[in-house]
Amino acid sequence: MSAEPADQSAARVTPEYHPEPHGTSTADAGNVSLRTDRLARRKRFAKELASLVPEGAVLASEEQLRPYESDGLTAMKATPLLVALPDTIEQVQAIMRWASANAVPVVARGAGTGLSGGALPHEDGLLLGLAKFNRILELNRELGYARVQPGVRNLAISDAARPHGLYYAPDPSSQIACTIGGNIAENSGGVHCLKYGLTVHNVLSVTVVTIDGDLLTLGGDGHDSAGYDLLAVMTGSEGMLAVVVEVTVKLLPVPPEAKLVMAAFDSVEAAGDAVGRVIAAGIIPAGLELMDNPAIIAAEAFAKCGYPTDAAALLLCELDGTAEEVVSQIERVSAVFRESSVTRLHIAASEAERLLLWKGRKSAFPAVGRLAPDYYCIDGTIPRRQLSHVLQRMDELSKEYGLPIANVFHAGDGNLHPLIMFDAGKPGELHRTEQLGSQILQLCVEVGGTVTGEHGVGVEKINEMCVQFDADTLTQFHSLKAAFDPEGLLNPGKAVPTLQRCAEFGAMHIHHGELPFPELERF
Amino acid sequence: MISNDDSAALLERVRQAAAADTPLNIVAGNSKHMLGHRQDVAQRAEALSMLSHSGIISYEPTELVVSVRTGTTMKELNQVLDEAGQMLPFEPPVLPASTLGGVLACGLSGPRRPFAGSARDYVLGTRVINGQGQDLSFGGEVMKNVAGYDVSRLQIGAYGTLGVLLDVSMKVLPRPEAELTLVHEAVPDDTQSFAAQLRRPLPLSGALLIDDRRYLRLSGSEAAVSAAARILGGEQLSAADAGIWQAVRDHEHAFFSNAASGMQLWRVSVADHAPALPVSGTWLHDWAGAQRWLRSAAPAAEIYKAAQAVGGHATRYGPGPVGEPAFQPLEGVMRRLQTRVRDSFDAQRLFNRGRFHPELDSLAASQATTEA
Repeated sequence: MSAEPADQSAARVTPEYHPEPHGTSTADAGNVSLRTDRLARRKRFAKELASLVPEGAVLASEEQLRPYESDGLTAMKATPLLVALPDTIEQVQAIMRWASANAVPVVARGAGTGLSGGALPHEDGLLLGLAKFNRILELNRELGYARVQPGVRNLAISDAARPHGLYYAPDPSSQIACTIGGNIAENSGGVHCLKYGLTVHNVLSVTVVTIDGDLLTLGGDGHDSAGYDLLAVMTGSEGMLAVVVEVTVKLLPVPPEAKLVMAAFDSVEAAGDAVGRVIAAGIIPAGLELMDNPAIIAAEAFAKCGYPTDAAALLLCELDGTAEEVVSQIERVSAVFRESSVTRLHIAASEAERLLLWKGRKSAFPAVGRLAPDYYCIDGTIPRRQLSHVLQRMDELSKEYGLPIANVFHAGDGNLHPLIMFDAGKPGELHRTEQLGSQILQLCVEVGGTVTGEHGVGVEKINEMCVQFDADTLTQFHSLKAAFDPEGLLNPGKAVPTLQRCAEFGAMHIHHGELPFPELERF
Repeated sequence: MISNDDSAALLERVRQAAAADTPLNIVAGNSKHMLGHRQDVAQRAEALSMLSHSGIISYEPTELVVSVRTGTTMKELNQVLDEAGQMLPFEPPVLPASTLGGVLACGLSGPRRPFAGSARDYVLGTRVINGQGQDLSFGGEVMKNVAGYDVSRLQIGAYGTLGVLLDVSMKVLPRPEAELTLVHEAVPDDTQSFAAQLRRPLPLSGALLIDDRRYLRLSGSEAAVSAAARILGGEQLSAADAGIWQAVRDHEHAFFSNAASGMQLWRVSVADHAPALPVSGTWLHDWAGAQRWLRSAAPAAEIYKAAQAVGGHATRYGPGPVGEPAFQPLEGVMRRLQTRVRDSFDAQRLFNRGRFHPELDSLAASQATTEA
């Protein structure tokens, strides 16, 4: 799902966005008949679905549907035709068979913390809420795994495992709320993925229901399975291929020791350079986070954690492992920082201080939220060597658009989260913010990066996908999708743009000197 | 090292083959000829050699990323990484003449796999020629990337049947500062004895059981490795004897060369804690019991049944009796879905026809959905 607290994201935006073509205005008379038609279908579908799930598990009134109209990307809203809340795998299978037979689009949803609109409802479709699948089915201490339902919260797995000395490694910042099913849909990361990997590296198997209602287990009890690695392709597929109904995750032993080094620098370049030197020294920290000055000031004002507010850049470097290993790594990292013109070096003196220093970083988003009426979180990844170029270019764009930007950066793995501050109350400012965001994502692609490191494409970054991928590659994505979902009923319109949409977006992605999508007309 | 970009010629070859409907056998060092089925000569397939597409495209040690043309030999790649103090963490086998492309197409990982992850775990991006002769790029050179489906990782272990791997970007890691191997006495075939060690925060990087000897490898900082060695106890292997990891990885260990006639070599992939399988033969347990090598004369069907019964699967290394599949047969919904996945990349069955799961080659079984 998301890497940051969703309830704080892209928030408090008033204008409603309706994904095309639904909700766009045609003649009034047309609208009325459209509305009547929808209401009739809603009524009929609600009745049919009611026979497949327990009483109360179908929501069809406007009041009941409202809480589902957006996910963490609240700038985009749509009311689903109806919502179903099944609580058994058999019910999910029955719903999928029904949806397939009636050609009804299905959008799966976990906690709705996603930041890219992946769980934005389809106005003519069913929203499949998996919140009732919230049980940990098995926690095997001896063998180091947990078998859970998809609606179990990320943090709940680690909380249950910790008394046994184990935990689930991926820790997106939204982990208190986001669900493991959503984590699989987004291939979620977190602040510790440089060392411990993403969701795809920590899931042993998933059981899914296909659009035909078939039950399949991808992955197995061993480290691999026969045939193609469908577990790999399911992870991060944004609900486009199948619906996850059970997950087995790997549990790791809790490292006996974790220490945090805080290092301040008088330029972002110096901090970026220090990150490169740490890695060149053969050290893989558990977490390596960089904040620029606006982010430091915001976080300090919010969390009062002792960050030096005069620093141009701050690195938080966490080292974990056995006590011996941590001691030796602290020494080496400190030496590297001293060689890299650090202006202040501090090792958290206690566990309480370590957690406090992390609190500042983890609350950077809401903290920035206090500096401006609204903010918009971007999620690009870049090769780290491009950091100073990207920051400089972003600074220019920020001035050009007159919108301030604060930066937090998963420096170890190149995942950048610029936070654009804006005021949705000012006419046109949301639109300009989205344009600036799009420019930043295109900049990430330009320097060899990607438009999304961990938040997913959803509906938010669908246009920028046209910049990152050429027509043949997009077509291959659609073919692969069709192998799982020939009628295109699962989460339609998300994650991978149609070629038509790319032509309309007009991204001039010149590949080998050719205009993209030359087969399509221009307007 | 010879650095040569042969992608234009390879693309042209594939386009011609697609037009003429000539099947292609993708080949490089041919070091893994024992894997998968021998291709039927009646198919009149042509060889598509990847050897001239070689060299390192870019390598930034501080970014922990290397981008490589797939015809590059493992020996050359390892040497370049080694000079920068880095490595491919999944410890792939290095057979004579083997290439990175072959390792990834076959999805092979070595002893470090249960602790560090597999070949697919370290793949960040790929450039692939699909069955229509299109030049496609997936993923990228950055560690976190969720744009588009993860086709790069899907390619790993697909035996080339989802396309020709041209270029690959991989995550690399620093080589551990220190490494040592401990030996303990053990009960033969008792893989359960690993479980207790696996759930402790120890810097393990290998766990083997051969006859009545259990080998544990530790990797990390000097301090961490020696502290763990004190906890685990046992006899420390000399550097020369620690070559056992490489010998098992590359099948140079005596277990793999003692080929009695009629005996076949099998790889059985199960949960590390799975019980001993009721198949007669001799066993060597790697990956703390999750990768079990078996020499047996038992029929394929018996081995597949035993592996499946414990939630695993088996693969035969080397030729077998006519008609006996080399891979755990896919069935039912899974077979239909995987066939459609193959359709979506290679509808004509141009690549490596017959080499991988033959049930996925069958066009009749596929519910053609190649048009998106």
